[in-house]
Amino acid sequence: MFEFEIAGISVPLFMLILTGSTVGIVGGFIGVGGGYMVTPALIVFGFPGYMASGIDATHIAGKAVISTVRHRQLGNIDWTLGLAMVGGTMMGVEIGVRLLNWTKEHGVSGIVLLMATVVIMLGLFIYTQIETQAATKKIQKATAQGITTGREMKATRMPEFFQRIPLYPIVRCHTARLVISMWVIVVVGFLTGVLAGFFGVGGGFIRVPALVYIVGATTHIAVGTDLLEIVVSGGYGALRQSMSGNVDMLAVMFMILGAMVGAQFGSIATAYVRGPAIRYILSYSLVLATVGAFLRLAYLITGGVYEIFNFLAVVFTLGEMIFLCLFIVSLVWFSVRHRHGKTVPKWIPSLVVAVD
Amino acid sequence: MRWFIDSMVGYWILLLLISLGVAAIIYLVYLKDAMNF
Repeated sequence: MFEFEIAGISVPLFMLILTGSTVGIVGGFIGVGGGYMVTPALIVFGFPGYMASGIDATHIAGKAVISTVRHRQLGNIDWTLGLAMVGGTMMGVEIGVRLLNWTKEHGVSGIVLLMATVVIMLGLFIYTQIETQAATKKIQKATAQGITTGREMKATRMPEFFQRIPLYPIVRCHTARLVISMWVIVVVGFLTGVLAGFFGVGGGFIRVPALVYIVGATTHIAVGTDLLEIVVSGGYGALRQSMSGNVDMLAVMFMILGAMVGAQFGSIATAYVRGPAIRYILSYSLVLATVGAFLRLAYLITGGVYEIFNFLAVVFTLGEMIFLCLFIVSLVWFSVRHRHGKTVPKWIPSLVVAVD
Repeated sequence: MRWFIDSMVGYWILLLLISLGVAAIIYLVYLKDAMNF
């Protein structure tokens, strides 16, 4: 056990390092900060709620830098797209925080937050699952016909609608290979920023699907560009939280110690898989977070009477991180096996990249 | 057991069961007394 004097608690050190590394792997792979997993986990470890949020925000900023550097080397960042979103995101985050404060003043923040979490995450999960399954079937059909498919496959035409909006200035995103109105990018950044500010998270779990399904970026570019976004918004969040005295820097450092390895692995792992695999992992993280939020909501609504809800919520919070980590590691392992011509489950070839 | 590997749904269930089991053990051994929820 390690004594954290600022937080006033003792925590097994390996738990912080393990949390940092598992969320680092997940975050580097699907382009999220992981706040919706880390904050509840830190509360479970014994950190006060406000400090869990502060530690999470600060460690996210550091972890996002590591992941962004890796994704830049992999060519997954579109700077035009990322920088165009930053302004809208920052404005949105500020509005989201004020909205959250309004619910706090009226004493309904806990219930509203959890209900909004359940609705939005469940909706995103359903849409992402349906679209990704359709995309995977397209890859399998093309492979069966002997057609070689690339790293990305989508089964939605929604981006074409938004790319046709003729509002000047129109920007050309070279790395993402798309031409789109800057206002679409700014509005997407603003709306995702509002949700991020309201939930008190980095917003990656909303921004990555928005970049894929509205702006039309490939999943890999969406992941890398979103992590760039999180460096900015997370850095600002870390500054605000530190100024409010909500951060135990020692705890942050131990989490980043784990994230140093995890985030790099997660980022590099994207090179082994196709876009649909990343979207599958993202959708799984959404549904598991929804189940965890629903269990916490059930515990709150029943007035804390049924301890089983509490126990299950805690187990789901911790289990979610381990599950996503195991899935990502196994995808990389199967990808390497597939490249060497060894047997893999038949659902693997449509999700992994066969050659370097 | 084969189904858990050959089917994506089965693999998902297998990994989830392992993960929840490990999480439950971690919680019961290390974190139960520190719970602040």
